[in-house]
Amino acid sequence: MTLLQHALVVLLLPLVSATIIALFLRRAGNWAAGISVLAATAIAAIALILALHGGRFESSWEWLRLGEFSLSLGIKFDDLAALMLVIVGIVGLCVHVFSLGYMHDDAAKARFFGGLSIFMFSMIGIVFADNLFMMFIFWELVGFSSWLLINHWHEKKSAADASKKAFIVNRVGDFGFLLGIIACYYAFGTVNLTELATRVEGGAVVASSIPLLLFCGAVGKSAQLPLQVWLPDAMEGPTPVSALIHAATMVAAGIYMLCRINVLMVPEALTVIMWVGTATALYAALCAIVQSDIKKVLAYSTLSQLGYMVAAFGLGSLATKHEMGATTHEMLIATGVGAAMFHLTTHAFFKALMFLGSGSVIHGCHHEQDIFKMGGLRTRMPLTFWTFTIGVAAIMGMPFLAGFFSKDAILYLAMTKSTPVFIVLAFTAILTAFYMVRLWKITFLGTPRTHEADHAHEGGFTLTMPLIVLAVLSLVGGYTAYYPKVFTQVFELIPEAHDSAHTVILITSLTVMIVGAVSAFFLYQCSPNDTLAQKAPGLFNALGALRNSFDVAYDYYVAKIQQRFAMLLNFLEQIFLAGLIVRGFSGVVGLFGMGARALHVGKLSVYLYWFFGGVVILWLFVTGVF
Amino acid sequence: MITPTLNAYLVLSGLLFSIGFFGVLIRKNTLVIFMGLELMLVASTLALVAFSRYNGTMDGNVFVFFILTVAAAEVAVGLAIIVALFRKRQTIQVDQLDGLKN
Repeated sequence: MTLLQHALVVLLLPLVSATIIALFLRRAGNWAAGISVLAATAIAAIALILALHGGRFESSWEWLRLGEFSLSLGIKFDDLAALMLVIVGIVGLCVHVFSLGYMHDDAAKARFFGGLSIFMFSMIGIVFADNLFMMFIFWELVGFSSWLLINHWHEKKSAADASKKAFIVNRVGDFGFLLGIIACYYAFGTVNLTELATRVEGGAVVASSIPLLLFCGAVGKSAQLPLQVWLPDAMEGPTPVSALIHAATMVAAGIYMLCRINVLMVPEALTVIMWVGTATALYAALCAIVQSDIKKVLAYSTLSQLGYMVAAFGLGSLATKHEMGATTHEMLIATGVGAAMFHLTTHAFFKALMFLGSGSVIHGCHHEQDIFKMGGLRTRMPLTFWTFTIGVAAIMGMPFLAGFFSKDAILYLAMTKSTPVFIVLAFTAILTAFYMVRLWKITFLGTPRTHEADHAHEGGFTLTMPLIVLAVLSLVGGYTAYYPKVFTQVFELIPEAHDSAHTVILITSLTVMIVGAVSAFFLYQCSPNDTLAQKAPGLFNALGALRNSFDVAYDYYVAKIQQRFAMLLNFLEQIFLAGLIVRGFSGVVGLFGMGARALHVGKLSVYLYWFFGGVVILWLFVTGVF
Repeated sequence: MITPTLNAYLVLSGLLFSIGFFGVLIRKNTLVIFMGLELMLVASTLALVAFSRYNGTMDGNVFVFFILTVAAAEVAVGLAIIVALFRKRQTIQVDQLDGLKN
C-alpha cells in the first residue's frame, strides 16, 4: 500500500466502524465496543507507521465545481499533521480501552462507542485537511460528535443543556471561522493551505481581518475568552469523552488550525491572539481554585493550558542568529508554532492521564465527583494515585517531566517577546501548581470522608492500563531530542533558552512551581470543607463570582436583549410579513376564486346568458370594435 | 295586390328569430325552450327562402331542404332526450335541473 492509501484507511476506518455500529449493532453494545476499539487500535498502529515512515505527501481531488469556484478534498500530510495524528491515535486508543471498563454497564454502550468512532473520523479529517473548506466540514463534524457525546446521558437535563450550550457557543465561533474562510478565498482565490503559503510568501498582502476571523473558530473550539463558557459545562459527558475530546484532542484542534494557517498571521493579529490566550490562561486558573467537582477543576485547568498554547502561538516568531563560517545569518523561526504544538503534545498526554485518572476515581467512588467527599484514596487506589501524581507533577512543570520542557519553552518565548505576558503566565503557573496540589491533596491524602471513598477500589485492567501508558508518555513526552526524527519540521521550531536566559527561566519556573505547590499543600486541610472558603470567604466568593460572570452576562444578554429584539422582530413579522403580505396576497387570490366560483351557478339559463355575452363580445371583436 | 318586398320578409324573419331567442333565454320549460330553438331555425330558413326568391336562384331552397331534413332528425333526438329527462327527474323545468352545481 502507498502512504496515501494508508492515510485513507486511517481516515475511513472509524467512519466504517461508526456506520456498522449505527446500522447493525445498535442493540449489541459489546460488539459495538469491540469494533470501535479494534478500529482505534488500527488507527493508532497505522498512524505510527505513517509518522515513523517519514514519508510526507500532499494529494487532493476535486469534489465540486461551480463555474469558477471549485472545492476539493485532499490530504496534506506533513510533520505537523503526523505529530497531531500520532497524538490523536495514541490518546484515542487509550480512551477507547478505558471506556471499555468505564462504560461497561452503560445502557447505551453502542451509541457511545459509535460516537467515539465518528469523533475519531472527524478529528482525523481535521488533521489531514489540506484546505480550509475541508477543515471546516470536519470542524463542524467534531462539533456534532462532541454534542452527541456530551449528550450521552441525555435523560439528565444538565447534560442535555450542556450539549446544547457547547454546540451553540461553538457555532458563534464557527461563524467567524466561515467568514474568515470566505474572506480568505475572496482575497487569495484559494483556500488550499500550501497554495496560501506560496501566495503569502510571494508577497500577497494579508489583511489582519482574515487571520482574526479564522481565529474566531479557534476561540470557539479551543474555548478561549469570551467563548470559554461551554467547556466546563461539557464535563456533563462521560469522563472518557472529557479526556479525549474536551482535554486532549478536539479543543486542541483550534491550536492545530492556527498552526496550519501560521503563514497568514500578521503582527496585529498575533498581538490580539497573544492577549486572548494570556487572559484565558489567567482567568481559567483563577476559576479552577474554587471548584469542588474533580472534573471541573480539570476542565478549568484545560482552559488555562489552552490559553498557554494560544498565548505561545500569539508570541510568534523569534529571530535567531546562525553563524555560518564568517557570515552571520538572521533567521525568523516560527517559534510560536513550535512552542504551542510542543505544549499541545505534552498537555494531551498528561491531561488525558489526569482525566482518565479522575474517571478511575469517579468509577471507584461510585460516581461521586465532589472532591470534598473523597479523601484517602492514596491507599485504596494506589495505581490511580501514582499515575495521577505524575500527571499533576507534569502539569506543574516538575523538572524532567513532560510539562516542564514545554512550559519552559513558552515562558522563555514570553520573556523574550513580551514582559507583561511573561509575568501573567508565570503567575498563572503559580496558580496551576496551587490548584493542582489542592485537588491532589484533597482527593488522595488524608482519611476517607464518605462511605463511598472508604470503599473505593481500583478498576480492572482496562481502566489501569491506559493510565500506565499515559503516565509513561507524561514522563518521557518532553524529551523531543530523543523522539524519532520524523517531526523535525515542528520540533526544530521549539524555542530553546541558552546561557543566562536558560538559568533565569529555570529559576523562574522552579520558583513559581514551588511557591504554588507549597502554599496549596500547607493551606488546604483534608477536611470536608474548602479551607479557602473558611479562611478568606471574600476571596473565595469573588473568584466564584468571576467564574459566573460570563454566564451571568450571557444570560442577561440572551434573556433581556436578544429575547426582546426577537420579540420585536416577531411582532413586525406578524404584522407585515404574515399579516399584510402573506395574508394579503392569499386574500386577493381568494377573492378571484370567489368571483370565479360565483359564475358557476348550475342553472342552464344563466349559462345561456354567459353564452350570449360571449357571442356579443366575439361579434364585437370580429367587427373590430376592440 | 301589394307584393311584399324582401325587407318585409327579412324583418319577419328577424322578429321570429328574436322571439325564439328570447324564448330560449327567458322560458324555464325545456319543451318551450326547444320550441324557441326550432323557431330560430325556421326564422333562418325563411330568410334563406326569401333570398332565393329575390335572387332568382335555387341555392337557398336547396339549403332549406337540407336544413329541414336535419331539423326533423334533431327534433326527434331532442324530444327523446326531453322525454328521457322527464322520466328520470319528473321535471323538465331548467331551474330545477341544476345537477352541475349541486
